[in-house]
Amino acid sequence: MSQTVLICDDAIFMRTMIGDILTQSGFEIVGEAETGVQAIDRYKQLQPDLVTMDIVMPDMGGIDAVREITRFDPEARILMCSAMGQQALVVEAIQAGARDFVVKPFQPSRVLEAVQRVLG
Amino acid sequence: MDLTRYAELFLTESREHLSAINHLLLELERAPTASEPVTAIFRAVHTIKGMSATMGYAAVAALSHELETLLDRVRHGRLSVTSEVLDACFAAADALERAIESGAVEGGDGSGVGVDAAIARLRALGGAVPDAETTRPEDGGGGEGPTGQLVEVRLEAQTPLRGARAFLIVKRAQSLGRVHSVTPALEALQAERFDRTFSLRIDTLADRASIERTIRSVGSVEHVAVEGAGAGADAARSAARQAADAAAGRPARHVRMDLRRLDNMMNLIGELVITRGRLDALARQVDDAALHESMDQASRLISELQDEIMLSRMVPVWQVFDRFPRLVRDAVRSSGKEVELVVEGKEIELDRSMLDEIGDPVVHLLRNAIDHGIETPEERRGAGKSAMGRLTLSASRERSSVIVRVTDDGRGIDRGRVLAKARGMGLVDETRTELTDEELIRLIGRPGFSTAERVSDLSGRGVGIDVVYTRVRGLGGSVEIKTAAGRGTTVTMRLPVTLAIVRALLARVGQETYAVPITHVRETVSLERTRPRTVRGAEVLPLRDDVLPLMRFRRLLELPAADGRGTQVIVLEAGDRRLGLVVDELTGQQDIVVKQFDAVRGGAAIFSGATILPDGSPALILDVGSLL
Repeated sequence: MSQTVLICDDAIFMRTMIGDILTQSGFEIVGEAETGVQAIDRYKQLQPDLVTMDIVMPDMGGIDAVREITRFDPEARILMCSAMGQQALVVEAIQAGARDFVVKPFQPSRVLEAVQRVLG
Repeated sequence: MDLTRYAELFLTESREHLSAINHLLLELERAPTASEPVTAIFRAVHTIKGMSATMGYAAVAALSHELETLLDRVRHGRLSVTSEVLDACFAAADALERAIESGAVEGGDGSGVGVDAAIARLRALGGAVPDAETTRPEDGGGGEGPTGQLVEVRLEAQTPLRGARAFLIVKRAQSLGRVHSVTPALEALQAERFDRTFSLRIDTLADRASIERTIRSVGSVEHVAVEGAGAGADAARSAARQAADAAAGRPARHVRMDLRRLDNMMNLIGELVITRGRLDALARQVDDAALHESMDQASRLISELQDEIMLSRMVPVWQVFDRFPRLVRDAVRSSGKEVELVVEGKEIELDRSMLDEIGDPVVHLLRNAIDHGIETPEERRGAGKSAMGRLTLSASRERSSVIVRVTDDGRGIDRGRVLAKARGMGLVDETRTELTDEELIRLIGRPGFSTAERVSDLSGRGVGIDVVYTRVRGLGGSVEIKTAAGRGTTVTMRLPVTLAIVRALLARVGQETYAVPITHVRETVSLERTRPRTVRGAEVLPLRDDVLPLMRFRRLLELPAADGRGTQVIVLEAGDRRLGLVVDELTGQQDIVVKQFDAVRGGAAIFSGATILPDGSPALILDVGSLL
């Protein structure tokens, strides 16, 4: 059975792209979220093997969502999706419990490497 | 690996380092530009840090790390030793001590004992965290070197967000063990103020290969090099090894010993001494030369064994006195006075348990002297004295006693105030305008009697000198006070060298036998051969050129007077005071094993303990100090 993924990003473009990269590698995208609050709800509901999380999202940011999710499930495997120049935020996300991060623009190989690390 | 068995070693060793740190800080305070104390403190703190990290006492490690960072700045001339710096260091040393004690004794991690506050204080002095500076210097000093394994990491050239990646690596490394330094500092790493290479030092039980594997698994890692302590448990062992080395390095070879063992040995030899007495008494009833010879030999051997055990319990007073300079410094600082403490006779030895017991009385006396005895600098100058008060703590040996003396050159005990208070309390006649020395001493020794009007942090809440009296008497010692208006006060505590076994004169009064410690017996005389007189309603005993107050033991015990035949007088002595004590009969001398007990407070507390006599019957031990 393939591993399940929840993709959290406010941009459809990004969700689609990440979805494609992962689907092609045999992952099953079980859900998507556009906001931090949605991300938490969907995580609790779906309990996916992996979460990709954008840092900046409406209503609740990705870092707060990481905090909430890891409080709910300390074993949650969350991969942060960040842009250049978000170093401090990435560090904060790691402190909050994120396992790894990838930096936009996404190169499929780097994304997959990071996903393997997080799941490995 | 079970680290709990290292806990005791850690504690012992850390205490020694803490004591050294406090001393060196005092030294530094006297000479703020000296470099030796800084280096030495640094080394001691560093050792504590290494040991505590290995033990997993996070709070201790964090605080010692912070203190070390500050000291390193001082060492490199980036921070000068101001009074704020010193105060923060002293506070840190205190917090460190609390954290160590709570961590090691209670098995906690030593948090919640003011460590955070101490760290904040140290950090505040550091100002801005210097850029790209190593969090911990590589030079551990003193040859013991830094602990743990050094991990060097080089990231791939194209690594995006190198800072966050490095942070992730450090975080992952923490899953292996305690990362106690990162170079450049973590703050610099996170802000990407480094090229591609950084290093960290980690205390871990993981071997080299698994460290490398773990670091690589974070990704974007081009190269990892692990060096240092090598494989596995070395880091954990180093703490124990340091302790062992320190012990082995001393000129005389020592073993550490559980104090309870020494106490057990003391109790056993005590029982043996009692049994010897009983055996001796039985042997005397048998006419057998061989038995007597064997008995004598056994007796000698038991005496030698007793001496050896007593000697093994003897420790130099500095083990307790060493914490007083620090204490005096703190007390002086908050008092606004200037006081110099002189400690004499540090090498004098005393029984371990006795030494533990006199700590509190001495602290009390020192604080009293600073708070009430020594005047403010202005007052002193006005009285034609030097602004700096002088406080002397001395120990000396006098026959079978150890004398511990606290002397100040302050204003002396205020007789006027003592008199006023005594009149107010109805302790002396309303019409009295003067107090004799004897009365003065007796009054201030009364429980709850204190002339201190304000409650201060220093000398406690109206706790008087009576506490000192009670404690010292409980130990079979005596207290003398001499005070001169404007010139100062001297308190002398006379203590037996050991608590456990004393030679005593046995006296019968009524049906009971009582033991009088021989250290306080000057001589004995037959009452029939003296002529007691009554002077102003009190019985006195003329003895050669002297006249001593006479006290009848039977009266103390509220027994009816005896017929007087065979009645003896024991002349008791403590310091320069003497007294004749009338007993029914003297029954001999004996080494007795003292069993302490808490006399009923407020009552006629004339006994300091009890013992078992050779015939198996119990005897109370007279507290001579309380009679004089």
